[in-house]
Amino acid sequence: MSRMMLAYLDAGSGSIILQAVLGGAAALAVGMKLWWHSALRALHIRRDAEEPPPSDDGSGSR
Amino acid sequence: MRAVPGSFRDPDSRVFESGGEVFRALSARGLEDWNALRASAAFAELTDRGSVIETQEVGGDATATLPEGWAGVLRHAAVPFVSYPYEWTFGMLRDAALLQLDVLERCLAESLMVKDSSPYNVQWRGVAPVFIDIGSFERLREGEPWIAYRQFCMLFLYPLMFQAFRGIPFQPWLRGAIDGITPAQARAVMSVRDRLRRGVLTNVILHSRLEQRYAAIEGRAAKAQVRRAGFNTELILANVHRLRKLVARLDWEPATSAWTDYRHASSHLHADADDKAAFVATAAGRRHWRLVWDLGANDGAYARIAARSSDYVLAMDVDHPTVERLYRALREEGERRILPLVMDVCDPSPALGWRGRERGTLADRGRPDLTLCLALVHHVAITRNVPVREIVDWLASLGGTVLVEFPERTDPMVQRLLAGKRDGTHEDYERAHFERCLREAFVVERQQELPSGQRVLYQARPLGA
Repeated sequence: MSRMMLAYLDAGSGSIILQAVLGGAAALAVGMKLWWHSALRALHIRRDAEEPPPSDDGSGSR
Repeated sequence: MRAVPGSFRDPDSRVFESGGEVFRALSARGLEDWNALRASAAFAELTDRGSVIETQEVGGDATATLPEGWAGVLRHAAVPFVSYPYEWTFGMLRDAALLQLDVLERCLAESLMVKDSSPYNVQWRGVAPVFIDIGSFERLREGEPWIAYRQFCMLFLYPLMFQAFRGIPFQPWLRGAIDGITPAQARAVMSVRDRLRRGVLTNVILHSRLEQRYAAIEGRAAKAQVRRAGFNTELILANVHRLRKLVARLDWEPATSAWTDYRHASSHLHADADDKAAFVATAAGRRHWRLVWDLGANDGAYARIAARSSDYVLAMDVDHPTVERLYRALREEGERRILPLVMDVCDPSPALGWRGRERGTLADRGRPDLTLCLALVHHVAITRNVPVREIVDWLASLGGTVLVEFPERTDPMVQRLLAGKRDGTHEDYERAHFERCLREAFVVERQQELPSGQRVLYQARPLGA
């Protein structure tokens, strides 16, 4: 027997599919964000990594 | 050992009670899940934080007293009083929802899952929520979606949205349906404006539409499809984060009601306040009480006095905004001995669920040894039309000492309540009749007229007690 069949709650097919849809939307959003950041980098609008902010004592990151 | 009637739904776990202690029997699979939980850092962390109930595995003697078929037994710390979400305020349900999501998120990090999402799995120690259903934890099945997402929506999210967006009290909905509000019901209630609010389009509208559209598809087939499509734990985590943000932003401001500022706004009460507090302090302080019910607790002033000499106090009031304010105040104070509950003494929580046994009545869950019934009798007798004798009989049926206040017919509030009624409607509302009824069921140990000359306090214990 599949372990997936052992849940005692019925998740509801619609709810399961909704989670996949939301997951897909989230993945798409993350993908678009990554693409946007790489596009900004390619156009030299954003640097590869932000410099760390100086600490209170001026010694920088440790 | 006595099986707790409300714990039968999960075949891998069943709660039993014996001598005031709480045990949980586990199936072989449940025991494997417990071992995985016990070995995790998450369990120790959540227990230390007070988010999950303290639990130990117990040895052979306890297992021997259980029916056959159980593989292991756990002992849980007992909570002071079992309450239900239809007795909680908005803030309590929201804090319980956040706890549920936090526990789930912490467990996912260690490949553990919480198999259900029910507010009945959360209880209270004062105003601190604690997750009690250790049987809910199981090993994560990679690729499986969050089975309890629908249950989270039905029992947490939609009730909170009803209150926050529509001003609809969620308590009657949850009391009326043990499994909560369905996506279709939630969709029917949301207005066009609500559909534009954060989280409604996905968790309500789309959820309901997909449920209708795929009703004919077996859940098993749907799970297999999403697994093949690459569903993974990261997607569950993303959903949990999204819901946490959504729930934390849901807000409901308790409006000013006739009861929210009752004590300060009612000038006729001021003259009596100090004497009344002293009477309660003396009566409550003469011994230690196990459980106190404060009926019509309002801002909890007398519940706080009683709490000084009690293990636990239920501060109950019918007015949701008043109880919500009390909950917020007690949270600020860090109080652990007072549990605020929304409760109508004329319509208290009934027995509900399968065979009327899954959810107990208020009295089934703990009778008081002290009851405060202050500034309440006139409202019940006149506004709610309960005969005075019935009120006294009910107080006697609780079985403990009572501190009860009787406002005379000349009291301004009684006059106001009677003004809306036809002359002669409440002839039984009269001090001599009240005292006659009281002395038939109780021994009056002490009575005191308050300075206004319009209110009398009684300390009484049931006959034979």
